[in-house]
Amino acid sequence: MSAGGSDGTADRQTDLAAEEEGPNQAGSSLLAVDLPRKRKGDVEERSGTHVQHSVDFQLDDDLCGSEEDDQQVKIKCFREPHRQIEKRRRDKMNNLIDELAAMIPACLPMARKLDKLTVLRKAVQHLKVLKVDTSSAFTNGIHKPSILPQDDLRHLLLRAADGFLLIVSCDRAKVLFISESVSKILNFNRFELTGQSMFDFIHPKDINKVKEQLSSSESPRQRLMDAATGVQVQLDAPLKPPHLSTGARRSFLCRMKHSRLAGKQEDQPLLPCPPKKKEAYRYCTLHCTGYMRSWPSSQLDSEGDAEKETSNLTCLVTVCRLLTHVPDQPPKGVSIKPSEFVTRCAIDGKFTFVEQQATTVIGYLPQEVLGTSCYEYFHQDDLRHLAEKHRQVLRSKEKIETQCYKFKTKYGSYVSLQSQWFSFTNPWTKEVEFIVSSNRVVSRGPTHTKEEEMGDSKELQEDTKQLPIIPGLSSGVGTMIYAGSIGTRIANELLDSYRMNSSPSSGASSPFGPAQEKGPLVSPQTSNSASSREEAAGSSSGSRSDSRTAADAGSATSERSGEPSQLDLDSVVVPGLSSFSSDEAAMAVIMSLLETETNMGQSGNFENLHWPF
Amino acid sequence: MTADKEKRRAISRDAARRRRRVESEVFEDLSRLLPLQPSVRAHLDKPSVIRLTLSYIRMHTLLTGDTRTRAEASHKVKCGRVMNGGEERGECDGGREEGEKGTEEVEASEETNLYLRILEGFLIVLSTEGDMIYLSDNVSKYMGLTQNELMGHNIFEFTHPCDHEEIRNNLRLTAEDVCCGAKRDFVMRIKSALTHRGRSANLKSATWKVLHCQGRAKVCVAPSSVSCLLLTCQPLPLSHTLLSANTFTSQHSMDMRITFCDQRMNLLLGFSTEELLGRSIYDLCHTLDINNLTKNHLNLCIKSQSVSAQYRMLVRGGGYVWVETHSAVIPSVRPSKSRPGAHQPLCILCVTYVLSGVEEPCLQLSVDQIVHT
Repeated sequence: MSAGGSDGTADRQTDLAAEEEGPNQAGSSLLAVDLPRKRKGDVEERSGTHVQHSVDFQLDDDLCGSEEDDQQVKIKCFREPHRQIEKRRRDKMNNLIDELAAMIPACLPMARKLDKLTVLRKAVQHLKVLKVDTSSAFTNGIHKPSILPQDDLRHLLLRAADGFLLIVSCDRAKVLFISESVSKILNFNRFELTGQSMFDFIHPKDINKVKEQLSSSESPRQRLMDAATGVQVQLDAPLKPPHLSTGARRSFLCRMKHSRLAGKQEDQPLLPCPPKKKEAYRYCTLHCTGYMRSWPSSQLDSEGDAEKETSNLTCLVTVCRLLTHVPDQPPKGVSIKPSEFVTRCAIDGKFTFVEQQATTVIGYLPQEVLGTSCYEYFHQDDLRHLAEKHRQVLRSKEKIETQCYKFKTKYGSYVSLQSQWFSFTNPWTKEVEFIVSSNRVVSRGPTHTKEEEMGDSKELQEDTKQLPIIPGLSSGVGTMIYAGSIGTRIANELLDSYRMNSSPSSGASSPFGPAQEKGPLVSPQTSNSASSREEAAGSSSGSRSDSRTAADAGSATSERSGEPSQLDLDSVVVPGLSSFSSDEAAMAVIMSLLETETNMGQSGNFENLHWPF
Repeated sequence: MTADKEKRRAISRDAARRRRRVESEVFEDLSRLLPLQPSVRAHLDKPSVIRLTLSYIRMHTLLTGDTRTRAEASHKVKCGRVMNGGEERGECDGGREEGEKGTEEVEASEETNLYLRILEGFLIVLSTEGDMIYLSDNVSKYMGLTQNELMGHNIFEFTHPCDHEEIRNNLRLTAEDVCCGAKRDFVMRIKSALTHRGRSANLKSATWKVLHCQGRAKVCVAPSSVSCLLLTCQPLPLSHTLLSANTFTSQHSMDMRITFCDQRMNLLLGFSTEELLGRSIYDLCHTLDINNLTKNHLNLCIKSQSVSAQYRMLVRGGGYVWVETHSAVIPSVRPSKSRPGAHQPLCILCVTYVLSGVEEPCLQLSVDQIVHT
């Protein structure tokens, strides 16, 4: 044993000698050394000291079996790593001291580095100045001391969760408790709302929905689901009514009144007008999540509602948070630009989704265009360039901008649009599933007159014989059929390219994409996607494959000029994953599964699961 | 010669011993000043004392800096009084006296407990380098490691290496964060030393637990203050979920095509089972939510579990509902009589909470919604 030359270790010698070895408890990436289980406060440091002093104990071979080899090696040459371990420990201590010095105001102005003892002494002084409250925690013995006073913790929680706590009774939706943070979110003082009925400050249209959530009219059978296995179990005879059981989750959206105080600086100066109707209020959408709970009413109900005093009050305990996850949701009251709308098409150009704003632009209701090919509405002059863009977008991960083109409205006239297209690829199969188009109206130049517009449509009607020649497509019969078939042909090209791609080298292909450098599209892969698409869903996901041809790599943009329009497994940096074959990829997912909590409940035998659906 | 050397050695040994004793005393003083339980305090080693001291000082700086700015901002119109500690309090109930501080602590603690129970997670404060400055003490319930064991350590020591890049991206503060209120929402895997029976085991036999982290970045420009990330971390999913009338489960193949759906899905969305099987979830949702769903899908593939943000699912006949989905990848089951079909090694299981009623029921947005007369 060293003669206590290094700091602090001598103190520990006697302690360690007394301790027995326990199971492993290595804190981090340091040596996997056995640590005595008792010392929970010092996960890392034990390793250094332990090895140094444990020579005598290791020979007892009281260790976990898996570490034996390592230990033997360490015993043999403990002098070697000993120095390094000590050095590492010293370095760590010095780093900590430096960090401490950086945080203490008294230590900062010093020119040269302070020694350890001085820093520690200054730290003691500093803590005294901060008046760390160690005593109050013990006065009533109810709660245990913590690094932070509870108030600060609550404050932090609210900052993080950005919400407020709301407890309402289930029978009349009376607000039993609402936390202070509501003032930040709804601009109401909490005491204005406590004791009120919740229905008074939620949007009238949401009242029924919230009533439903508060009600106890639960299905008589309680369903439990094991998320690890998907096994659903129905409890036939619940011990107590489901709505009273703690833990019945509720999660819903509702709109609450949002008061705009006249005194707020950040608002635009508005004349305060008395709200005539409920609609005059602004509402904000909140996501409320929580549980049903039985609460002894005496604790919370400070209103002293004498006649309704029951021993058990059922209420809903929720945290209400502002709904922030929807980037596309315009705040209420802001008008969406009527000249922009989003549509979605299958890969052959047939509309599968049309936003409601489209009607104001194209005249058609969504249901009138759904299922029809977009090519039927494009002006002849634009067919060629749009077909080219169509081809392009199916093979690119980028957003493709079209030029301005004319779109036929319901009334026969044309409107000028310009669109951004991008193809959505399924992250797992890497196949294009559909194309999303974000369209906006382009106002034509000031020289445009009504006559021009009329002229255009007339032209179209007369000009059915002159069909533009689009490379790769033979001309069909009739305008409509021709137009519609353009899309189908382009789509078939893509599907054929999926089918025909073969790379003799890589027999299996990876749903995670082949190894690739950022930029150029990928090398060819075996594919059976077209046929597998037609198979029932549920065919082996392992054989789904990637599908970009080398030819396509040439045509599409090779560098990512803009941001990728869609997240992709390839663009997520996952070291090593992108080079897996499909089997390996599936195995990687299985491995990560086995590592995670969901499988803790598994008996390990997956074969015997039944689906009682 | 050697006697002299011996003597010198003895002197230096004594000096060293004295130094160590003094140092230990200072460490004792320091640890006594920390708000810790006596049992915890007794077992702390020196680096841990420093670690916890650092955490304390950083948290203090964080909170006082914060309260100062809050006091300056004029959000409160009613009688806001800046009490000791800088907290704005004292609405119309006349403010609190010193003596009542104890009650308020209790109240705050109850509220905090409620929050943490609803959120089903713990709070973590991360520095921009990833140091876990503070964790709420219920972290032991989810990770099997106590607050004191973790505080001051770096999060990268406990998280899955494949997630480090994403974590780093989230820790980074951008210019946008400074002006627009930096939100964070991501999924990461963390070591958990809990056995499935809920007991603490060795960290060596730790498994990965998937955490959903939400919160915000707190940007501090002042040099004395500390920029950090405030996050609530929620493990997902629970192994048993109580389902209410507004939830449904569905099973999907890895490309998110529906392979099974329960009755409630038919009820809540209006589509029959035949109409749903084989359809991709991307078809059934509102186009504008695709990015959200893609992110969810990716998280699922990589981390094996995920929770989606709120998105819209289209309802038959028109309109949509807002939903939130918790999903997990699970090893699939062998086809049985009730579930014939090809055997897949993996599938996705989703529990979807319907959050809203049917919005805009007259709006037919998608080809699936067209009611054919």
